[in-house]
Amino acid sequence: MTQLLQVVDLTKKYGSTKVVDTVSFELEEHTSTALIGPNGSGKTTTLSMLAGLVPQTSGTLQFQSTARQDIQSIIGFLPQYPKFFSWLSALEFTEMAARLSGVETRKAVMEAKKTLEFVGLGDSLSKKTGTFSGGMKQRLGLAQAIVHKPKLILLDEPVSALDPVGRRQVMNLLKEIQQETTILYSTHILNDAEEMTDQLLFLRQGKLVEQGSLDDVRSRYAEPRIIIEFEKEQELQRFTEMAPWHVSANGLTVAIDVLTEGVGMPAIIALLHGQSFLVRKIERQTASLEEIFMKVAVI
Amino acid sequence: MSELATIPWNLIMPLLVLQLILMIVALVDVIRHQRTNGPFIMWIFIIVLGNLIGPIVYFIFGRRQA
Amino acid sequence: MSGFSVLLKKEWRENSRNFKVLWIPIAFIIFGILEPVTNHFLPEIMKSVGNMPEGADFQWPEFKGEDIFSSLLGQYQFIGILIIVLAFMGSISGERKNGTATLLYVRPLSYGHYFLSKWLVTNGVVLGSVWLGILAAWYYIEILFNHVDAWEVFAFIATYSIWIVFVVTVVLALSAWLPTGGAAGLAIFATLIFQIIDSLIGTYWTVSPWKVAIYATYWFQPNADMSDLWMSIIITVLFIIVLIIFGSSMAKRNASKTTV
Repeated sequence: MTQLLQVVDLTKKYGSTKVVDTVSFELEEHTSTALIGPNGSGKTTTLSMLAGLVPQTSGTLQFQSTARQDIQSIIGFLPQYPKFFSWLSALEFTEMAARLSGVETRKAVMEAKKTLEFVGLGDSLSKKTGTFSGGMKQRLGLAQAIVHKPKLILLDEPVSALDPVGRRQVMNLLKEIQQETTILYSTHILNDAEEMTDQLLFLRQGKLVEQGSLDDVRSRYAEPRIIIEFEKEQELQRFTEMAPWHVSANGLTVAIDVLTEGVGMPAIIALLHGQSFLVRKIERQTASLEEIFMKVAVI
Repeated sequence: MSELATIPWNLIMPLLVLQLILMIVALVDVIRHQRTNGPFIMWIFIIVLGNLIGPIVYFIFGRRQA
Repeated sequence: MSGFSVLLKKEWRENSRNFKVLWIPIAFIIFGILEPVTNHFLPEIMKSVGNMPEGADFQWPEFKGEDIFSSLLGQYQFIGILIIVLAFMGSISGERKNGTATLLYVRPLSYGHYFLSKWLVTNGVVLGSVWLGILAAWYYIEILFNHVDAWEVFAFIATYSIWIVFVVTVVLALSAWLPTGGAAGLAIFATLIFQIIDSLIGTYWTVSPWKVAIYATYWFQPNADMSDLWMSIIITVLFIIVLIIFGSSMAKRNASKTTV
């Protein structure tokens, strides 16, 4: 794994308000990183600084062997609500985007066409962007962000404005893109983050409060529990009386906190088996990303 | 009224034609576009009744860009 | 250089697809024709409408063709400049406000090229309009009034064009610097209102961009002193260069204000 970008103490102040506060992280090549946090936590500002739109107040962005002024040519950026010149067609816009990002004139039209077909706008090449629906705009936004084959793609809430079908389609596109490039995207939808991420960054009030791989973060915050669902209520009663651990019952299920009780699956199975309990289901449950989010990112 | 007949209409004609073009372009745009600042029926009236200034005012203030 | 031609193309498409390349020339041509036509026919029309008291013989001043150019200039200096300011006040500030600039500014863009592309295309549209308007007026002047020397007309057009380029540059530089409302207000002050101020208190100085338009009409006066004209042109060109540099750097500085 080679490092693509190192961010050190990135800070943005507006007046005396620190919108982004000494944020540090690294991006490895060909990975995807989810920037998670509630609204107003500094996600958009962080992405804008990386995209070269907003100058940072302090801190450094160190791209792998790229001079500062060339950074924008290796970046693709998709804002949350991309705005296009309504009087340009999808192809005209994407071609312009490609050429401004340094794609050769001869290749630009071809690359633009290929990219638009890839995002599913092959039938709308010559349609004016002013007539596009929200989903089409998001695809066009994606097309202009990847048409020049950037090394790093920054996406601000790429799917949150879309309906479930559009979201599914864009997520699939992103997974395809991810194999060839590095993605940093912000989201507040945790299912998306769970689906495509090598690294999680949790922002709260401009501060990076947690980071790591999905497994890392999970194991740090996880409170694994073992859940047993019984066939009958009498069985549940019998179990609570016999079990040497603290259990919390709810309907036909009981939950046992693995860490506090210091118990493992084998011991529980041994008990259930030995006493011939009638069990419908037994599972090990880890904390969902949403629970972690509530703990980490929300005060 | 006989004096008016002495006005050489071939000189005035281009003015009327240009004004008509301006009005038609503005009308076609407002009807096809239908995205105006304010009610678009109002802009049709301004364009048709506003003489030379009507279409110009539409292009400057009525047309919604972006 | 590839980036520059892309931006030029974008500006041209914008101005043709929002009909500015059509309606602005037509407007200037109509004003250009109206001036000689109304001046020629007004006495007759007034007579035929017959609002005059019986026996009153109104003495209309005898206009020469050269005078019509000057009075057309008066029209352009007010309504023409108002059109230029209002049509182009949002050229840069509007793109920032509605967020369309964002997808340009995330690219490795030369803000000099960005400003110059707008400057070239806007000047193309506006100068083309002014030229067509004056040429149309000239055609009518030749028919309805008297022959005017072609060299005088071309010198007049060339000189007036420098003032027009100055106006366009002021509008674009202010649009790069300020939000659209402020840009429009200050541009109207700097081009329309300052003309009046310059003519009132400016009697103490003779060299000023705001006097170039008046000096343009000197070409029609055989014995006019042209030395102030040349100095004013030099000063105006310097202003234009400084404003282009200012506009480019303001476009760059304000890039972070684009709506993301």
